[in-house]
Amino acid sequence: MATILVNGMKREVQASGDTPLLYVLRNDLQLTGPQFGCGLAQCGACSVLLDGKEIRSCTTTLTAVGTKEVTTLEGLPARWAHQKGLPAAESEKTLHPVQQAWIEEQVPLCGFCQNGMMIKATELLERNASPSVADIKTAFSTGVSAHLCRCGSYTAIIAAVQFAAMQMKGAAR
Amino acid sequence: MNSQNHTSVYGAALSRRGFVKTGGALLVGFGMAGTGVLEKTAKAATTMRNTLDASLPESWIEIHPDNTILIRTGKSDFGQSTTFTAYRQIVAEELNASFDAITTVVMGDTDRTPDGSGAFDFLGSGTPNIRKAAAYTYQALLDLASQRLNVPKNAISVKDGVVSGGGKSMTYGELIKGQQLKLTIPVKGDLTSPMGLTVDGNPPMKAVKDYTVIGKSFRNSVTALKVAAKEQWATDVRLPDMLHGRMVHPKSLGSTLVQVGTLDKSKFPNAQVVVKANLVGVVAPTEWEAIKAAEQVSASTKWKDWKGLPGHARLFDFLRRDADWTTTKVTQSQKSKDDVSSAMSGAAKKLTATYQMPFIKHAPLGPTMAMADVRKDGTVYIYTHNQNPQALRGEIAMMLSTQPDNIIVRTFSGPGHYGRSNGGNAGAEDEAVILSKAVGRPVRVQWMRPDDFQWSTQSPASMSDVEIGLDANGKIAAYQIDHYMPAMQDDRPIGAVLAGLPTMAAPNEKGVFIGSTVNDIQDPWVYDGAVNIAERGHGTYQVGEHSSPLTVGLRDHSLRTPGQFQQNYPRELAITEAAALAGADAIQFRIDHAKAGSTDGERAINVLKSVRDASGWETRSTRASDSGTVLRGQGVSLMFRSATYWACVAQISVTPATGAITVEKVTVAVDPGIVVNPMQLKRQVEGGTVMGVSITLFEELQFDESGIITRDWRTYPILKMSEIPEIKVVLLNRPEVGTYGGGSEAANALAAPAIAGALFDATGKILRRLPLKPEYVQAALKA
Repeated sequence: MATILVNGMKREVQASGDTPLLYVLRNDLQLTGPQFGCGLAQCGACSVLLDGKEIRSCTTTLTAVGTKEVTTLEGLPARWAHQKGLPAAESEKTLHPVQQAWIEEQVPLCGFCQNGMMIKATELLERNASPSVADIKTAFSTGVSAHLCRCGSYTAIIAAVQFAAMQMKGAAR
Repeated sequence: MNSQNHTSVYGAALSRRGFVKTGGALLVGFGMAGTGVLEKTAKAATTMRNTLDASLPESWIEIHPDNTILIRTGKSDFGQSTTFTAYRQIVAEELNASFDAITTVVMGDTDRTPDGSGAFDFLGSGTPNIRKAAAYTYQALLDLASQRLNVPKNAISVKDGVVSGGGKSMTYGELIKGQQLKLTIPVKGDLTSPMGLTVDGNPPMKAVKDYTVIGKSFRNSVTALKVAAKEQWATDVRLPDMLHGRMVHPKSLGSTLVQVGTLDKSKFPNAQVVVKANLVGVVAPTEWEAIKAAEQVSASTKWKDWKGLPGHARLFDFLRRDADWTTTKVTQSQKSKDDVSSAMSGAAKKLTATYQMPFIKHAPLGPTMAMADVRKDGTVYIYTHNQNPQALRGEIAMMLSTQPDNIIVRTFSGPGHYGRSNGGNAGAEDEAVILSKAVGRPVRVQWMRPDDFQWSTQSPASMSDVEIGLDANGKIAAYQIDHYMPAMQDDRPIGAVLAGLPTMAAPNEKGVFIGSTVNDIQDPWVYDGAVNIAERGHGTYQVGEHSSPLTVGLRDHSLRTPGQFQQNYPRELAITEAAALAGADAIQFRIDHAKAGSTDGERAINVLKSVRDASGWETRSTRASDSGTVLRGQGVSLMFRSATYWACVAQISVTPATGAITVEKVTVAVDPGIVVNPMQLKRQVEGGTVMGVSITLFEELQFDESGIITRDWRTYPILKMSEIPEIKVVLLNRPEVGTYGGGSEAANALAAPAIAGALFDATGKILRRLPLKPEYVQAALKA
């Protein structure tokens, strides 16, 4: 049994310490935003934020999570509300600007990879408020592995990250 | 008030089944018409449980008293967006209702949708089933309005779901409120066949000039759900008392089971092994235990060794020398002449060449999975992500020697797999059924990444021999092409094959349509200025299938733009080479060979001119004159598919020292006739282009004599974001064409001949095989 901090809440889970976080999130906590794409940290479909850093939940064990905070796709609206000092109820009604941008730009085709893409975009924009196209391409193509999209939504993702950046800067003023 | 009132509506029958006090709805179901073949279908469909049919109040389209509308389609959307955008637009248009009035789209579930068929040809060359169903419904609504408003049908006008006539108005909701109505429309076909049912007849349809909804960029209604993690994916389905399953697939594509490994119960106390012939699976209450237990069992399971594949390095030698092309009927395109040899022999210049395309994986981003619940009463529920749930139903019924009546398939969002399951199975459904039946509990089978690369089907390799003769004026005097490709559509569920359970036959020369080894000509000839043409298709069995004790070998399945990709790539690259031989510009050469004065020729010329203008193409009759360490070049391709004309220009740079190609810009011009949804079409074209560049630069199935070596994203790299070109999409809306062509396929096939043509332009060296990997490019440049 272990206790982990997920989307601002402490959660007790029965899984053994060597269980990859992905299965704990999906099966024990019903947080199904992260998807199983490879189990090998090669594609990014399972990404979550761990203390704000994008990691692959398919190869990160429960033990490795320890006391760090996990943020999943489901937790992005509350993360944004918290960062902006908005009332918690606000996050019930609105999405994170990254999620809004994904709708605005109609990014997903099948959408299976987009959990990881939105998590990566959030990590990037929290560190770099005005990424260039080159910055965006680098962020999504390096690290543990590139974030892969088989449907080919990369051009839409670049447009959406730029759109989200504008929205987030606007909100900061 | 039970009087039945039948009205004929362009061959459909409207019956009013009496009045009810509250609620009420216009429910449009379907009925069976015709004789002969259709009667057989009618009988099968009307007696099938758990399927919508004419005698039931379920429907294609429901109009509710609150003015909301629900539509149902058997076609499953896997990212094409069509069912959530174009279908809603089409129905809204035919009903004269607003797009937003259509609040619910039900798709794919075999017990909740009417028509079946696969996730292809969504727009049916302009008239998908849902359009006709809507057109029939509209006529029925006009009839109702005529009675209620007491004015002739032709004196009624409708706007945004409000009918007006004789100085009175009422909404559709008010019109149908308190009534139970059923419209019966004619349908033909076989529900669980790959093509499903087709709505018949010719209801009047709205004139294109009157369109107000089609042509606008409506958003995909499922996007917001997916983005907010509120969509239920197939991967999310959980049932009470379920077990997680993992498969232990054979060591090779021909390995039979010698001895199953022993499960270490001290480590995996709750796991269980299921064996049926050569099918081995492991189930456990938790997913992690199932994964680890399957790994342990796999490590100690003994399989017979098998070597029966040529290996990828020898593939084309095998196809040339060893494959049997003699037993399958040679096909010929309609425009082909039997013999072009005299025209060829009189040619002033000649190109003779062979082009090769490797096996390519569909490579969905998520490995296939399914949940099955085989119940004690024999009913089977399958929860999956499937492009053809009704066909799956038929296949599972055959596997279990039961009736399709007993099988219910629910389909959910899942990773796009680009045609792999449009013949009925995505890979894991049958295995989940076998395991569930064995353990008497619901079982969720999730393939791991290597399972998906090594045990799924692939797009078949092909090779094409081309001969082009040019006359003294540099025009095509004769064109001859022979396409060779193993069977493309093996719909046998792999678990059923391994378990020795009944399946359809493997593709063979006696099979008809899908299931045949016949290689049809899929790539329509678009250069009607040249008339001495001969296009032939040669088919054979799947590689390794006959020598494999498992009868599997390299199983194939259609991949986005199936067959046509394999045929368009050699043709278009050969046309580029012919243009160079003629000393002509590659785009102008194409324009000069399209038939001016004909509608088709004019559309082909128009897309070529559009792509030329939009791409910054340099019109020149000689190749690029770059020198130095990086060379630049341009290439073009042209295709006609699903009533749509496509032209593509690729601009690349290549570093001869390394053989590395950078695709700098791809421009695509597309004329589908009527553009239904510009935003969604643009996204489809961008996505297809990225997939096409990926296939062109990187993708090739690696296999040895025993099986597939490709096992993950390192051994099967696809394009990364940092590698994408600038993509420019030019949408050519041509309402005068009168139909909406398909736009969610085809774009993936355009880049390959354009990029290979650009490599030729840049270097003067032609590489007639895919992919254009650095080592192959380097070898070609040294040759």
